[in-house]
Formats: sequence, C-alpha cells, structure tokens
Amino acid sequence: MAGMWKEFSKGLWAELPPFRLLLGLCPTLAVTTTAENGFGMGMAVVFVITLSSFIVSLIRKIIPKKVRIACYITVAASLVVAVELLMQAYAYPLYQQLGIFVPLIVVNCLILGRAEAFAGKNPVHLAVADGLGMGLGFTLSLTFLGAVRELFGTGSVFGMEIMGASFEPVKFMVAAPGAFVALGLILAGMNYLSIVQAKRRGEPAPENPSTGCHACRACAGRK
Amino acid sequence: MAKQSLPTAPFLKVASAPHMHCGTSIKGMMTTILLALLPAAVGAIYWYGMEAVRVMALSIATAVIVEALCSKIMEKEIRIDDFHAVVTGLLFAFILPAGAEWWLVVAGSAATMVLGKMLWGNFGGAPICAIAVGWAFCTVSWPLQMNIDATMLNTTLVNPLSQLKYFGMDAIADASMKEYLMGNQLGALGAVQVGALLLGGIALLVRKVITWEIPVATVAAVLIVGGIYYSIDPELYANPLFHLFTGSTMLAIFFLLPDFTSSPNTRGGKIVFGLMAGFLIILIRTYGQYPDGVLFAVLLANMITPLCDMIKPKPFGAR
Repeated sequence: MAGMWKEFSKGLWAELPPFRLLLGLCPTLAVTTTAENGFGMGMAVVFVITLSSFIVSLIRKIIPKKVRIACYITVAASLVVAVELLMQAYAYPLYQQLGIFVPLIVVNCLILGRAEAFAGKNPVHLAVADGLGMGLGFTLSLTFLGAVRELFGTGSVFGMEIMGASFEPVKFMVAAPGAFVALGLILAGMNYLSIVQAKRRGEPAPENPSTGCHACRACAGRK
Repeated sequence: MAKQSLPTAPFLKVASAPHMHCGTSIKGMMTTILLALLPAAVGAIYWYGMEAVRVMALSIATAVIVEALCSKIMEKEIRIDDFHAVVTGLLFAFILPAGAEWWLVVAGSAATMVLGKMLWGNFGGAPICAIAVGWAFCTVSWPLQMNIDATMLNTTLVNPLSQLKYFGMDAIADASMKEYLMGNQLGALGAVQVGALLLGGIALLVRKVITWEIPVATVAAVLIVGGIYYSIDPELYANPLFHLFTGSTMLAIFFLLPDFTSSPNTRGGKIVFGLMAGFLIILIRTYGQYPDGVLFAVLLANMITPLCDMIKPKPFGAR
C-alpha cells in the first residue's frame, strides 16, 4: 500500500507532468485557453493514461521487446478512440472545443512515456497508481494554467466573472503567445521554489545550466 | 594527424596596472541616446501637446520603478542610474498613440521591462528588442486602445498609412515628404517625428553609439524592395520614400534595430540583419493586416540575429 501511495503521489508534485517532466506540452499549450478546457482535457488524459498503464502492465510480459512502442501506441490509440466516442456522446460542447487535440492524445508523450518508463516494467497495482497520479497531476496543472490564462485573458475563471467590469481583458494571455509566456513564468516559479526549498534544507542550490560563456552559441561554443 | 585545436595561450597581452579607461560607459551612451531622442520628444509635444508629456512621463516612471522592483526581487544590484530604463520607457512611449489611456501605458511599460528586459537578466541579456515586445503585448491584448485612428479622433492630422491601407493610392496623392519629415502626420506620438528622429540618429552615428551598417542596410532594403513594388505599378504601390518617412520606420532604423543586445555583432551579420528588416517592413505594410507593421518587422528580424552572428571571418589558422 505504501508503495502504491508513493507512486501515486509523485505525479502530484515531485514529478508533476507538464511542469516538472515537461511532457505533454502540446495540449498544455494549445487547449488551456480556459480552465474548463484544461480540466476536460485533463480528465480525458486521466482516463487514457490510467487504463493504458493498466493494460500495458498486464501484457508487459508478452510484448516483444522490439515492437513495444508500436504496442503501446496501439493500446493508447484504442483508448483514445473510446474517449473520443464517449465525449461525443456525453460532452459534445467540450469535444467541439478541444477539437483535434482529443485524437492527438494518442501521441501525447506523457502516455507513451509512462508506458515505456513505468508500466512496462512494474506490476499492475503500481502501474495504475502511477498512471492515476500522473493523470491527476496533469489535470491539476492544465486546470491551473487554464485558470491563470482565463483570469487575465477574459477576467473570469470557470466562466465566473472575477475581475470586475472596469478590467480590460489582456487578450494576449488567451492568444497563442500567452500560452508560452504563462508556461515559462510558471516553470520559472517552479524552479525558484525548488531553489528556495533546497536552501532551506541546507543543500546546494541546483546549478543553472544556461549561464556562463559556454552556453551561448554566439562565439565560444563553435568548433 | 589528429585535428589540432587552436593555441590556448592568450594572444592579447594585458599590461600591468594602472590602465587607462577610454571613458565610455553605459550611462554615457544612454545619455547620448536620450539627447538624440530629445528633438523627437519636443516634436511630439509640439504636435500632441500635454497628452504627449503625460504618456512619456508615465511610461518612463513606470519603467524605472519596475526595473528597481525587479532588481530588488531578483536580489541584484539596482542599476536604474545607468538610464537604460529611462531610454526604454521613453522609446516605448514613442510608439503609443498620444491618447493612450493611463492603464495601457502603465501595463505596456511594465510588460516591456519585465518580459523584454528583466526576465533575461538585466541590461545586456535580452535577445529581442524590449520595446517591440511591449508593443506586441499591447497590440495583441488591446487592439482597439492601440489603434491610432480610433484613439485620436480629436485631431486634424491624417494617418497616411491607414489612408493607404484602406483607401488606396488616391488618398495619399497629395502627400508631401517635407510635411512628413516635419511630423505633420498622425501616428504613434514620437515615432512620426521623422525629421527629428533622423537628426537624432545621425547624431548617434557621429558619436559612434551605433554603427552605420544596420541603418544603411535597412534604408537600402526599404528603398530597393519598395522601389521594385513601385516600378511594378505606381498606381497601386506607394513610393519607397513614403514608406521611409511614415509610421515608425525611422524610429526602428535608428533606435530599435541597432539595439545593443538584440542586433548582430559582425559587419556582415549587421548588413544581412538590416536588409531583412527593411524587406519585412515593406512586405508587412503591403500584405499585412496592420497598417504599420514596423514593430513586427523588428521582432522577426531579431529572430534571425543568432543566424546573422554566424556570419563572421574565419579565425586565423582555423579550418
């Protein structure tokens, strides 16, 4: 049980998918124009990733090593088709909002990454815990990013007016560049948090790999 | 034989102290730029009155305060006394309409400093011209409030670029380049003081704050590409001089494109960079959705700066 909790909880903070692992960035950037879209996308991913981890872990012993990626994709694709049909049946407006990004869950690196890195090597109960944790972490992150962008971009969160009538919406935040800027700022915030935490524990702060002359391509790095 | 690396011994010998300092400093350069911008500021006040003063003062104050606050948060030395924040704030005010609302000026100036300068470290780190970043942020966010024709209804000045865009060549048939040089056109408050900016730019060239390559290459590209369109059909496309003397072109040529950190370093790179910027200015004005796309041209030209920096002479002995 303790092992399951450990695998489940790592997806919620320590290995939070889009903000720590930087996996699944395509839907993270594309569909988070509102908190609701982010939440819906996240729920679809929770469904797919939990079941795909479950199935991949079940059949991990009979998948030939050489064609495992194709097998993982097939499993994910079947599940995504199921999600797509379910969304068409029960959440059609959301399906229309998300558009092409629902079928694109198949190639979401988060799902393939968890299948390859975890579910393909671990027993079923751990794989399900891992998939569920990662999926929920993904949902939380997408909802948070969507809420931030919606708050500044339209002045409301989940459709509820927050900023008041005199607020002029910053349309930049719901446009495409706003997604990159918001994600970058959140990533910077995450890194800052880990530096502060490391300092508090008395450990040396993680090295920034992008400072110093060697990191710049302009002159020094070329051979 | 194995590939030999370059000799590692320093080939520039540094003598022992005391050294002589040539006297250039960031503060000195920024003061020169401020002096070069002064005629345009005076022109803006002449044409737009106290509204222009309000926008410029607000923008500069916001820029300086935001830089100080950011330095404080980043636990870095506060260097607002090098005047770079003042220059950035003033240049940002120059591309706003004179009737810009106060929150637009404050938000845009803060975005310029935070997204364009402080996020990249401090002065010296930004890969993209900060003013163009702030402009793009505001134009995407508040297209109505940034629209010069919509915010400046109480003026008799005419915006030549939107005339050309929406009413064709007939609307600018009686255009006088001399009037445009004097600043007699509606546009962003400082950017359209074309003659004053030209004066300031030449002063910068003389004082060697900027080098000649980028301005000359940009002007050449605007004239050549504009000339090609003009020679295809003078009834449809404007005179290349018109493009040079309207909108923000002159500001971009002398103050935004040669921005220290976002322009290439080598001579060849600078020329390619300038040609690219001039080409983009004409292209965006001819086919783009916005009447004046100069700032987008600056942003796009900044994107190729790392590529331009690869154009350089081979080091001696390198293969």
